[in-house]
Amino acid sequence: MSETVTLTIDGKEVTVPKGTSIIEATEILGVEIPRFCWHPGLSVAGVCRFCMVKIEGMPKLQIACNTACTEGMKVITVSDEVKDAHKWALEFHLINHPLDCPICDQAGECELQNYYMKVGRYSSQMDEDKVLKPKALDVGDNLVLDTERCILCSRCVRFEDEVTKTSSLGIFNRGDHSVIGTFPNRKVQHNYSYNIVDICPVGAFTAKDFRFKCRVWFLNETKTICPGCSTGCNVTLYEHKNQRQYYRLKPRKNLEVNGHWMCDEGRTMYEHLNATNRLAAPIMQGKHLSWNLLSKELKQKLEKVKGNAAKVALVLTPQYTNEEYENILSSLNSILGGLPNIFVWRDSKEKFDDFDGILMRGDRNANSKGLAQTLEKKSAQAIPLSGDFSPLASANAELVIVFGPEIEKAYSQFATEVSRFAEMTNVVYFGTTLNPIAKKFSLTIPTKVFAEKNGTFVNFKGIPQKLKANPLVFPAMKGIEDIFAEMKA
Amino acid sequence: MGYINVSKDPEKSLKNGYLSTTLLGLGQTISVFAKQLFKLEESVTIQWPEVEYKYSERFKGAHFLTKRPDGQVRCTACFLCATNCPAQCINIVAGQAKDNGIEKYPVRFEIDILRCVFCGFCEEACPVDAIRLGPEYSMAGLPEQKWVYTKDYLLNRDEIKKQVGAKQVSKKEENTKDASVLSSLPNIHRHSGEGH
Repeated sequence: MSETVTLTIDGKEVTVPKGTSIIEATEILGVEIPRFCWHPGLSVAGVCRFCMVKIEGMPKLQIACNTACTEGMKVITVSDEVKDAHKWALEFHLINHPLDCPICDQAGECELQNYYMKVGRYSSQMDEDKVLKPKALDVGDNLVLDTERCILCSRCVRFEDEVTKTSSLGIFNRGDHSVIGTFPNRKVQHNYSYNIVDICPVGAFTAKDFRFKCRVWFLNETKTICPGCSTGCNVTLYEHKNQRQYYRLKPRKNLEVNGHWMCDEGRTMYEHLNATNRLAAPIMQGKHLSWNLLSKELKQKLEKVKGNAAKVALVLTPQYTNEEYENILSSLNSILGGLPNIFVWRDSKEKFDDFDGILMRGDRNANSKGLAQTLEKKSAQAIPLSGDFSPLASANAELVIVFGPEIEKAYSQFATEVSRFAEMTNVVYFGTTLNPIAKKFSLTIPTKVFAEKNGTFVNFKGIPQKLKANPLVFPAMKGIEDIFAEMKA
Repeated sequence: MGYINVSKDPEKSLKNGYLSTTLLGLGQTISVFAKQLFKLEESVTIQWPEVEYKYSERFKGAHFLTKRPDGQVRCTACFLCATNCPAQCINIVAGQAKDNGIEKYPVRFEIDILRCVFCGFCEEACPVDAIRLGPEYSMAGLPEQKWVYTKDYLLNRDEIKKQVGAKQVSKKEENTKDASVLSSLPNIHRHSGEGH
């Protein structure tokens, strides 16, 4: 749309493409209009009647989500008349809404609560009893539905229809008795179901993996990047304020990368971050080693093969940040006096170019592109290890340094492949997850997880994106860059 | 009890002299002692623990959890008390209850009573009248004793049964749903135990 129209919202002029709705224009201006059913990633339904604005020259208030901007339009969003309309609309929404806040998972991030505090604050004039509806329905692998809390904004129905094209949800019955639900013998079973929990403005849909685990006001948010596949969705990572426990991921809007959504696979990326699943301290020949002695031990190992870089095999996985790759390569180069033999370990069964049509890609490594770029920059040749380990065996390395994957799920044969490394002598293994095999390496070094790193992932399109670090779960832990810096010192 | 005004003005008190006021005070003490010794007036000292002082029923002492009329714990693990607690001494783990319209219940509810400052904010914050500060006030104990009140202790200790009795059952209007709207779909609860 090349044509533009200029309109005035609350006295501020804004120029938008023709066909833009008023609510989108207010988004551009940063004016907040309350809404339930309008979502920037979905079609317009106009059912919640909450985003009322006054348009000069029109006898009645109009909804902002379904009214297109016209040239010279004057919109008022803050007058008493408009505020009154918002208040009444909210009261209508709350007529049958149960007072489940103490139980409801959405409490604390609930649009109804927020808007009540913003535009509501009335004494209810409703004298009828609330309509009772089915509660705690199991509507899918990841979702629990409470039809009583639903305010019938139809966001989930539109999501099913437009984004995943699965159309498993609908609104049934009429009037007061309208309920949202699945069609008989159908469930919401696809890889994007948690998005429904995100877009639900109230607590009607709750996530099974987060249900009753933690109250949202105990959570800290970190804006980071999902490490689950090469799409590199922008996510918010939620960690308990005690900095010991991660609970969930939610997508952030980035139209270039992931739009508004993320997949369920990516939402499991908090599980391996918690202390119970993590390698806490280095292990040397099956015994724990203190962090202080680590760089000395590692240095000794490297000194033995100094000046003999051809006798060292470096196995990289595409799940580390660009900065770490550069650090690893340049540090080893300076310590060994040359680049070692580099191998890139990838999943043997991966379908690299797979794409599910929405977000998820077959390449389950966050930084394949970044690794390739870094190797190119250092003009290093890498030999792929993908199911066939003979190149590594024939290299006859005296020292093998393996930078293992942080997300082991990405490797379908992880257990068998990692035990192959364990069969070799003199292997230094960097990893994050606690597994029995860690004791078998001559030196196992825990590394930071993506949530604790500041770095860059390059997604499949070549867009570099920054990670943001949280405080360490194990305060004593040293990152790769710290260990190498100590060794150089 | 009598009071003696002692001036804070150093000049005056020097003039009156410390000795005279001290002696006056001592006289007061001796006279009260003598009166109580010869039972001329009632002693204000309580012979604790044989005699227990009766505080008002509204005294905010040791916490207890209320029950629903059917005997289940009223708490829905909403965490408002833990959030409101200035001493951060309440620790709750929520779990899935049996589906009766109240899906959540506290699997664990613990109060670290040594941290507690008895401000009553938990009682204030509770939306379902589940936690109250009871009339118990003698909570002294030995270091080796357990100073974390568990859910079981908060619900079922003998003192509460004795002192609060039927008042532990909170008559707040029930939120249970009528049977016709209960979920007909399979139970989603991983622990299909007896809820409470």
